[in-house]
Amino acid sequence: MNATQAVNIVMIEDDEGHARLIEKNIRRAGISNPIHHFLDGTSALHFLYEDPEGPAKSGPALILLDLNLPDMSGTDILAKIKGEGPLKRAPVVVLTTTDDKVEIQRCYDLGCNVYITKPVNYESFADAIRQLGLFLSVIQVPDVAEH
Amino acid sequence: MSTSALGSGGTSHYPRGMANEAIRERRGERQFGRTVLLLVTLGFAAVLAAGLFAATVLLRGQDQAQWVDHTHQVERQVMAIRLTLEEMRSARRGEVLRIAGDSGATYADASARFFRAIDSVGRLTVDNPLQQRNVARMRVLAKRLDSMFAASLLSGTALSTESERERQATASQVQMLANRMLAEEVRLLDIRTAAQRESIRIFFVVLAVCGGLVAFVGFGSVWVIRRYTQELKTSGDQLQLLNDNLELAVAERTTDLQRANDEIQRFAYIVSHDLRSPLVNVMGFTAELDASIKPLTALIEKVDEQLPELVTNEARLAVTEDLPESIGFIRTSTQKMDRLINAILRLSREGRRTITPERLDMGLVARGVVDNLQHRIDELGVAVRIASSMPVLTSDRLAIDQILSNLVENAIKYLKPGRPGEIDISGSIAHGRAVIAVKDNGRGIEPRDHERVFDLFRRSGMQDQPGEGIGLAHVRALAYRLGGTINVESELDKGAIFRVNLPVRFAGEKAKDEESDA
Repeated sequence: MNATQAVNIVMIEDDEGHARLIEKNIRRAGISNPIHHFLDGTSALHFLYEDPEGPAKSGPALILLDLNLPDMSGTDILAKIKGEGPLKRAPVVVLTTTDDKVEIQRCYDLGCNVYITKPVNYESFADAIRQLGLFLSVIQVPDVAEH
Repeated sequence: MSTSALGSGGTSHYPRGMANEAIRERRGERQFGRTVLLLVTLGFAAVLAAGLFAATVLLRGQDQAQWVDHTHQVERQVMAIRLTLEEMRSARRGEVLRIAGDSGATYADASARFFRAIDSVGRLTVDNPLQQRNVARMRVLAKRLDSMFAASLLSGTALSTESERERQATASQVQMLANRMLAEEVRLLDIRTAAQRESIRIFFVVLAVCGGLVAFVGFGSVWVIRRYTQELKTSGDQLQLLNDNLELAVAERTTDLQRANDEIQRFAYIVSHDLRSPLVNVMGFTAELDASIKPLTALIEKVDEQLPELVTNEARLAVTEDLPESIGFIRTSTQKMDRLINAILRLSREGRRTITPERLDMGLVARGVVDNLQHRIDELGVAVRIASSMPVLTSDRLAIDQILSNLVENAIKYLKPGRPGEIDISGSIAHGRAVIAVKDNGRGIEPRDHERVFDLFRRSGMQDQPGEGIGLAHVRALAYRLGGTINVESELDKGAIFRVNLPVRFAGEKAKDEESDA
């Protein structure tokens, strides 16, 4: 296990406010890993697969994914990540407002590791993110495919 | 057949078109009835006329035949006159010459027959004045002749040539008269035969005309009936077509409605989700603001301690009162908005939920609902009665449960202060529909609000109870979903009766539709 390499957090979230709140609460939970924030699916996928600093080319990554994106559906991104490719073992945390049962099932079927509904109530929201932060601090992230 | 034309414009003029069709048909039927009646009457009249005419002609023919026969009889008698005259002559000659006459008859016999013949001609020609005159003359001549013959016989000697000649002349006069009478009869016979032939001809003509008329009426009737049958068949086909189209249109309309309904559900779902997203921000950053009040307050206090002249009253008030107050309002508003959005979401989700019909004893369901609310019922001292006989339905348990518990909850919630609460739950079945009634003696609802209370986020009366105006909207949505309706009967301060009208057996096909959607 490569312990020295920092785990990148890739956040795909179209709402800047949400992104800011998530980041704040992650930091409050004591997680200092670099967070790469993307507002749409296309640039996020580009970073994930093409960017030299992206997880496909270097280092392990954890992906925070919102399902409601302007240019594509979050489930499509999830399907792409979890399909064949260098990122199929990368943990994906779906963090979205949708609490529809069918949608949740679909995400788990596609291989999502954790599904979290954004609570409107800020206390529970902050709580959820902090817990996610605790979770992130203990999670073991696999290396991407050796090259 | 283009279905699109049916879907849009077609339906609007269905009833009118059908009414027109019906009117035209009825008018056609009346016209047809009249025509057929007329034709049949005409036909029967023709046949009757033909029969009557035939009978008349026949009677007349018989009459005429009789007359012809009569004429023949007269002719025969006139011939007999001539014959007996000859006999008389020969008998006289025989007797004069003392030899047996040709006929062997005596003169007396012959003359008797002669007079008889004249008499019979007279009898037979009573109707004919000409012949009567002839007969009268004949009688005169015959008498004279007879007396002449008798004289010649009595004398036994040959009479003078003069008397002989006179006798000869009289005899020839009789002969001539007889001939004239014969000629007259022949003339009459000719006339009568001609008349007979004419009437037979007329008979045949009339028969032919009547036959033609009957045939015409027959063909006419057949034609009219055929045409009418054709029309009937055409209109029947049209009706069938209309009927088929109507079914098609109804099916299409149902699909459209279903689609529209689904669309609304999806719309509500998406909108509420997208409304939630900014709400997360509002609440999140409000909390951040709230969190930043604390260090600000600390700063104000610290500055107040060390450099009191730096702290203005405004700054202090802003930190200690304005900020917390604003944040508080933002909080309550966003919380309320969150509840409203959640209500829409819940309704929308309820519309998408699969209905699973099962056998439900409403008595047990009501008991379960009351048991769940028992704590509040006891707290408020409300008397809840459930009727001993409650209907048994086949419907969705969760939906029915929610309907009933919402109604009972409302009844408990909106009691009239100072009046001990009484709630009656009853049910009945009529015409395949079950009516579940929840009656209370609470504060009631003003009649003008009876529709409004079922609308989402609308409430009635004093706003002294918590709630968002969701319960009854939810109940109505559920009732509709189960193929039912709900209404309220109430007056202010006089309690209320909520009646839910549901099918005893939930129509399954809708449930299947929903299943295939999910």
